[in-house]
Amino acid sequence: MKFGPKKVLMAGLLAAGLALSACSGGATSGASGAGGTATTTLTLGTLQDVRSWDPAQAHVGHGLQPYQAVYDSLILRQPDGKLAPMLATEWKYNADQTVLTLKLHDGVTFSDGAAFDADAVKANMDHFKKANGPQMSQLASVKEIKVVDKSTVELGLSAADPALTYFLSQAAGLMGSPKALETDGIKTEPVGSGPYVMDKANSVKDSVNVFNARDGYWNKDLQKFSKITFKVLADVTARTNALVSGQVDATLLDPKNGKQAEGAGMKLETNQVDWQGLLLMDRDGTKNPALKDLRVRQALNYAFDRKTMLDQILLGQGTITSQPFGKESGAWVESLENKYNYDPAKAKSLLKAAGYETGMTLDLPSIPGFEPILAVMKQQLADIGVTLNVGAAVMNTFTADVAAQKFTSMYFSLFQGEPWVAINQMINTNALYNPFKSSTPELKAMIEAVQTGGDKSATNAQKVNEYVVDQAWFVPLYRVNQMYYHNNKVTVTPQIQMAVPAIYNYAPAK
Amino acid sequence: MIKFVIKRLASGVVVLFAVSVLTFSLLYAAGGSIARNILGDTATAEQLALKEHELGLDQPLFVRYFIWLSQAIRGDLGHSWFTSEPVATSLATRVPVTMTMVISAMIIIAILATLIGSAAAVKRGWVDKLVQIGAVIGDSVPGFIIGVFLVTILAIQLKLFPATSTIAPGVPASAWVASMALPVIALIINGVTGGAQQIRSAVIKQFEKDYVRTLRSRGIGEGEILFKHVLRSAAPAGLTVLSLQLIGMLGGVVIIEQIFALPGIGPLAVVATSQSDLPVVMGIVMYTVVVVIIVNLIVDLLNGWLNPKVRVS
Repeated sequence: MKFGPKKVLMAGLLAAGLALSACSGGATSGASGAGGTATTTLTLGTLQDVRSWDPAQAHVGHGLQPYQAVYDSLILRQPDGKLAPMLATEWKYNADQTVLTLKLHDGVTFSDGAAFDADAVKANMDHFKKANGPQMSQLASVKEIKVVDKSTVELGLSAADPALTYFLSQAAGLMGSPKALETDGIKTEPVGSGPYVMDKANSVKDSVNVFNARDGYWNKDLQKFSKITFKVLADVTARTNALVSGQVDATLLDPKNGKQAEGAGMKLETNQVDWQGLLLMDRDGTKNPALKDLRVRQALNYAFDRKTMLDQILLGQGTITSQPFGKESGAWVESLENKYNYDPAKAKSLLKAAGYETGMTLDLPSIPGFEPILAVMKQQLADIGVTLNVGAAVMNTFTADVAAQKFTSMYFSLFQGEPWVAINQMINTNALYNPFKSSTPELKAMIEAVQTGGDKSATNAQKVNEYVVDQAWFVPLYRVNQMYYHNNKVTVTPQIQMAVPAIYNYAPAK
Repeated sequence: MIKFVIKRLASGVVVLFAVSVLTFSLLYAAGGSIARNILGDTATAEQLALKEHELGLDQPLFVRYFIWLSQAIRGDLGHSWFTSEPVATSLATRVPVTMTMVISAMIIIAILATLIGSAAAVKRGWVDKLVQIGAVIGDSVPGFIIGVFLVTILAIQLKLFPATSTIAPGVPASAWVASMALPVIALIINGVTGGAQQIRSAVIKQFEKDYVRTLRSRGIGEGEILFKHVLRSAAPAGLTVLSLQLIGMLGGVVIIEQIFALPGIGPLAVVATSQSDLPVVMGIVMYTVVVVIIVNLIVDLLNGWLNPKVRVS
């Protein structure tokens, strides 16, 4: 048997022929939309599957969007942040902000037939407070839920909570059928009053979740598709490929892969949800005495060429800033935006004045994904005489380590929420990202003004913002653009403070 | 023969048991705050304590092991701490996907490697050089890069295959074939050259032996010498490298599965490990050990069948 070149070529062609004939299923590009008829289905590429369909286990951003397909919330948050009626038609605080009265929509039912009423609200909130979910603290200030009548609920609070109505548009406000909440089944199959119902038979855990439009849904304006499919694509390359080949209509990418999507004609909808920078947590100098000095912390703020870092690392997709509060939060102050410019000479003179002319060290843990920026920071800090020691990579005990004061400072990406949420995230004495519990009496008073400020809460938070920027609690570098791409079959509106758009923000393109 | 199989299975069970003890101790003794990972940043100390009690993390190690073992023997591998899905169900839905891909790739690799390796050994000359160059390239380019390359050209530009897996319940078999074609091709390109190299060397060595000269002197044709005699003697070397490749593939498919979004063991393993979802990690380790034991058993049996000389030892 001689294997001459001709025979090899024949074998090759045969193999290729077999391969091509096997792809009769081929590339399913679905409705190509090239006929003028609007699409009726929506397929989204998501980064992860939900852990459990119990509404008490809902999270934020990526971890909230899927729940919105099947659960309504008490209050609807519009793309610009304004709150609008949903299952609750109106809400009102009493004089000292300790009782919130909600009036409920009539005639709404869950997909299993159960009625939505005040008892259902109480059942959901009682369940939420006990279920140990990731956003459990959203109802921490609610100490009792009183059913006044079928359409009225009174929430009694232990202290004023300016973020409560916001929370009722998030995980804490999701309403599931009280009957289903008691069972284990709700973990794998959601039962809500929302615009879509899960098609369990065609869904595969961690792969694809399919939802069909619910007949007789009470709010036609929020139900824009006949079918929604969540395709779980953890890898960004897979998401890019799925988007450009038409397998998904919209998904989240990153600046580098975004270029490929743009080349294929995809549209970018961007919003800013996170800020990145250093958290100088050990401000009292417990473990790193240098950080106690305000001049040292300010020197660190002057040490970085934010614009170049943004251009190089995120391809310019973001906005440089010196303040940690988000632009739409109400606590943002225009004059603080560029307070700390790039001035290594000033940084050096501040360090000299503080007595660290010969140098100082800063220890940061290594966090996956941030290695390039830590390398850049090391170089820029060396230019002003600061030695940056990048420590070991963080483990999955990360949050416990932070709480245990294992790190004096760290480079991180933090969600920019409503002012009260942000304060409790990184500034208040109970905040996870203030593990050394830094505080001063004047800051404490400012924080209280936010808590009890009612409508003025956000404006009062501007004082907190000014304080932490003047006192250089952090070294903010920039706010990051979310790179959300979609094809021309759908229109997408970004949602404020949400990493991916709310499910209500998608519509078929005309 | 039966005794041989039973002895191997028995030793396989011992290995399984030993690995389970070792893995369990390593995973669970390390501790760490798994509860905080599940509950998130804002959990209080009592919530953490409650969760730890719920998961049984406050009991001593060997008690927890025996509970796990007694349930595992009955087929209950526990539940994921994060999704509450039974581990056995997760494995049952995902193992077929990974195994279909790995076994399809291995069968084609075995056939192609034998053909290419034998061709290189027999023809020498340009075929041989081509195989050797191909071996270097195929071994050095990682499988997932080949995968990305294939997706870009065949799926996105030529639109011949779907860019990511369309495997779901109720889809026809053609969807499985279409979704697996590119990953399997990537695995084949990566693995066939290594196998071909080994088989080429083994066949060349056999051709130098005296018995081949004897067979030729009796007038037996080259083809019969190759297929009936030489390949059987070269089988142990070939089977060894193929079985090692298969076992290596079990771990190596993780990235390929991520890129093609195949609902296999790979993504499950990555997520479970990074979250410290220990029941799932234990389940995946046990499944891997079982596969390795079965593969080794089958390779030994094949060796024995192909080459009677091995049976005696």
